[in-house]
Amino acid sequence: MKIKYLLAALTCVGAGVLQPALAQETLKLGALVTLSGAGAAWGQGIKNAAELAADKVNAAGGLEVAGKKYKVEIIPYDDKYQANEAVTVANRLVFEDKVQYIIGPVGSAPALAIQPVTEKAKVLIFTLGFTTKALGPDKLYSFRPPVTTAEVSQPQIDWLVKTQGIKKVGALFPNDETGQSISKDLEEAYKKAGSALSAKEFFERERVDFVPLLTRMMARGIDAIELDGNAPATSGLILKQARELGFKGKIIRTGGPATQEIINVAGKAAAEGMFVHTPIDPQQVSTKAYVDLYAAKYKTAMNGFSPAFYDATNMLFEAMRRAGTVSDSDKVRIELEKIKDFPGALGSLSWTGQATYGINHQLNAPFFIAEVKDGTEVIRARCTVDGCQ
Amino acid sequence: MDWGLLLTQATMNGLIIGLLYLLMAVGFTLVFGVMRMVNFAHGEFYMLGSFGAYYFTTGLHLPFLVAVAVSFIATIVVGGLLEWLILKPFRRDELNGMIVTIGMAMILQNLALMIFGPDPLSMPAVAVGTLALGNVVIPNSRVYVVGFALLVLALLYMFLRYSRLGRALRAVVEDFEIASIQGIGARVYYPLGFGLGVGLAAIAGALMAPLFSVSPFVGSTPLLKAFIVVVLGGLGSIPGAAFAGLVLGLIESYASLFFSSSTADMLIFAVVMAMLILRPRGLLGKGEI
Repeated sequence: MKIKYLLAALTCVGAGVLQPALAQETLKLGALVTLSGAGAAWGQGIKNAAELAADKVNAAGGLEVAGKKYKVEIIPYDDKYQANEAVTVANRLVFEDKVQYIIGPVGSAPALAIQPVTEKAKVLIFTLGFTTKALGPDKLYSFRPPVTTAEVSQPQIDWLVKTQGIKKVGALFPNDETGQSISKDLEEAYKKAGSALSAKEFFERERVDFVPLLTRMMARGIDAIELDGNAPATSGLILKQARELGFKGKIIRTGGPATQEIINVAGKAAAEGMFVHTPIDPQQVSTKAYVDLYAAKYKTAMNGFSPAFYDATNMLFEAMRRAGTVSDSDKVRIELEKIKDFPGALGSLSWTGQATYGINHQLNAPFFIAEVKDGTEVIRARCTVDGCQ
Repeated sequence: MDWGLLLTQATMNGLIIGLLYLLMAVGFTLVFGVMRMVNFAHGEFYMLGSFGAYYFTTGLHLPFLVAVAVSFIATIVVGGLLEWLILKPFRRDELNGMIVTIGMAMILQNLALMIFGPDPLSMPAVAVGTLALGNVVIPNSRVYVVGFALLVLALLYMFLRYSRLGRALRAVVEDFEIASIQGIGARVYYPLGFGLGVGLAAIAGALMAPLFSVSPFVGSTPLLKAFIVVVLGGLGSIPGAAFAGLVLGLIESYASLFFSSSTADMLIFAVVMAMLILRPRGLLGKGEI
């Protein structure tokens, strides 16, 4: 580690000595994400998104703000999906690396834990944390690029209830904070859509046999099972066992991209006809361009959250151009809030969230309802926060 | 709701899942009986069995029954070797033995994580469709599994009851000292007892692999259930474990029919605690040590 820093320092000195005439300055962005453990797939996707956005401006000679060209550098740190770890590296980013912009963190707990530091230092953060508490009128410097359950569930459920004629929905949730809160949200959403979450069951997270619970739910005559709120592997087991018991109704997952993992567990046949939420439409030209760009550089499949962070980083650059500064984060924030109909990889992007969070810091990106056909997602409806078609 | 129908359905569900607990717990209690060692790595052998079944069927295209048999024999050999190489100094040493098996569980689980990766794998079902008995519906895949489990138990019973090795093993479980006076040597029976015990866990894992998923973390729940079952049945008692396994399956199934599933889980631990207070040696335990 030390050698790495030393080398980095030497390179900087060397570069400085060799190129004194080229007055190019460096703009540092932190990538405070999870790079090991459970959330690593998301963290990698976010860090890579920031790097790709940086590559793009660097390839054009740097980010041009108020006549000066800045070389963008991404400084990645691993928070291990833990709040205490996140605070340590956030302090390092803010006070030692002196960054004013942080892409991340991944988890809700890390996001809430670093906000006291970042808000006070006027450091902009772009988090994936799904908690409603991540955004608020008192958190001027916190933004969220991906749409969360709070945004996506109502329009999707409206569409599904209307087009698929769903009347009685059954759902299973893990018996903890996540499961309890999602069950409340979904119950209201189904009620609003004119349907009912008529059977719900809570179970301990380590459970693998759902046959008794499914038996009881099916005895109540449900015509659909909702899988939102469950871990990918658990959702797969529920689906598999429901089909084994002869359940013929619809399977729905209105949140959390996990289709591939569910198919891995339940098998293609059981997943046929399942309706899932998906944050990207691979057929859209701009999205496909990003997916290809990603695959060319990183050689791995892209996580569904990645494009939102690529767009957010590009929007941040645009805000800096408009503000004419990279060092005054207050001015950048105000310009960022003003951006409307930004042409991103996901489509046309604006900010929303006033009604839910009291501040327009939630990116309003399009999302989709897909039906699983022969193991792949086929887009059935395009949605925004206002509704699905 | 039709309560009669639901009750019958719950009974069938309970017996099926009870058979899984039974297989796990009999192996667990066999290891304890022979070695006086609480085997925390038992769940990991369940995991190895399920990976064995997965790779032998999807990778080598062996028939399911052969895959289960191969996993069983391979686990007996691996278990016997591990006993001989690692656990030998800890025989009849309850505390240190427990710590060693916890370590072994961690090593096995992390090795599996490095080799197989964290993503859950799906094994194709052994049979499709459902079996309808009147209005009661049982998935065919489960009927199949129950058949195999019963076959394994019958074979185990014959082995323990009639074969020379099996009878000697039972003698070691019942009274180690008298068994050694009779000339039953430790050199063979410790590795055999441990290997057979974890082999049963592997069979349970292999049989359940098509019903549930296969991942490095699947062993923890069956281990917990095995614990509960042997506490209910009496630690070291094989008939007790068999009986309590079925009882636990039924209690769980009925409880989740009448109560919410969290209440059902609480109820089971309440039963375990009541058992420990009122009858610490379990339903059929001997109550020595």
